[in-house]
Amino acid sequence: MNTSDTLLVIFAMALVTYATRAGGLWVVGFMPMSPRLEAFLRYLAGSVLVALVVPATVRGEGAAFVAVGATLVSVVLLRRALLAMAIGVLAAALYRRYTGM
Amino acid sequence: MATPFHPGGGRATLTLAGVWRGARAMLPVLIPVFVFGAAFGIAARGAGLEGWAASLMSALVFAGASQFAALDLWHAPVPWVPLLLATFAINARHLLLGASLRMLTHGLSAWKRYAAMIVLSDLNWAALIAAEARGERDLGYMVGGGLAMWVVWLVATVIGAEAGDVTLTDLQRYGLDLVLVVFFTTTLVGLYRKRIDDLPWLVAGLAALAAVWWLPTNWHVLVGGLAGGLAGLVQHGRRT
Repeated sequence: MNTSDTLLVIFAMALVTYATRAGGLWVVGFMPMSPRLEAFLRYLAGSVLVALVVPATVRGEGAAFVAVGATLVSVVLLRRALLAMAIGVLAAALYRRYTGM
Repeated sequence: MATPFHPGGGRATLTLAGVWRGARAMLPVLIPVFVFGAAFGIAARGAGLEGWAASLMSALVFAGASQFAALDLWHAPVPWVPLLLATFAINARHLLLGASLRMLTHGLSAWKRYAAMIVLSDLNWAALIAAEARGERDLGYMVGGGLAMWVVWLVATVIGAEAGDVTLTDLQRYGLDLVLVVFFTTTLVGLYRKRIDDLPWLVAGLAALAAVWWLPTNWHVLVGGLAGGLAGLVQHGRRT
């Protein structure tokens, strides 16, 4: 790919990506604020996170289950997010070491 | 106008103090951001991009998955339609992230709102949503996290593209490839409201899995997020 094509592709990708970043806020700005919309947006935030975590866990074979499971238990018991993340990652690393996966 | 049910009141702010708080909160996930950035630099070199082009892409696009996807389509003549469609499809989840920030941009001027969206990304968005549950009302929190990620992402790309030999296998050995999903998991627990979230989240999880199995790649966040949001809306309508 020559230099001008390279520049054009990068700028076009940047534009498309910014459109996705700004577009959601822009569209929702046309809707009048109401308790219903607020509730929807609140559910949306949690649901997006669920949609990020669940497939990554299910597809990520054993180590992802171990990591997410250990993190869930730790954060519920200890209430410390950073510590729970460390425990989850460590558990996955150990799991990989001993199963050789 | 109905009264917002936020404990902190209606108006959001964007302050330097918030930017600083957000940047500090992002520290633990900067390690995997760095390694993935370096991996992108290496992969870009492998795909035939020059170092400056890989770095420029990281600086302007700043969206890892879509940057990796572009490498697969990196040949002349430029496959414009597949390349830009892939970029859109992979980044379409940002639409939902942005929409969910409606209340956290309330009362800010348009230029501040849309300038802040330049650095909108899953990680700093999740950090802000988690902080919001603890009373954070400053959009700067997301901006600070995004700026920290942007700097690290760019520096890592430069290093990877110029000289580097980190591989994804090194990441996996220490479980670092799982830092992101684990971070989202802790955020989720912080957001959880007993009973209220059960049904929407179940719907979101099932819809996301169904999308993984039956739809082209990368639509699952959009599908799961929307399905859960709508389920929540239906539930909300039944209760009140």
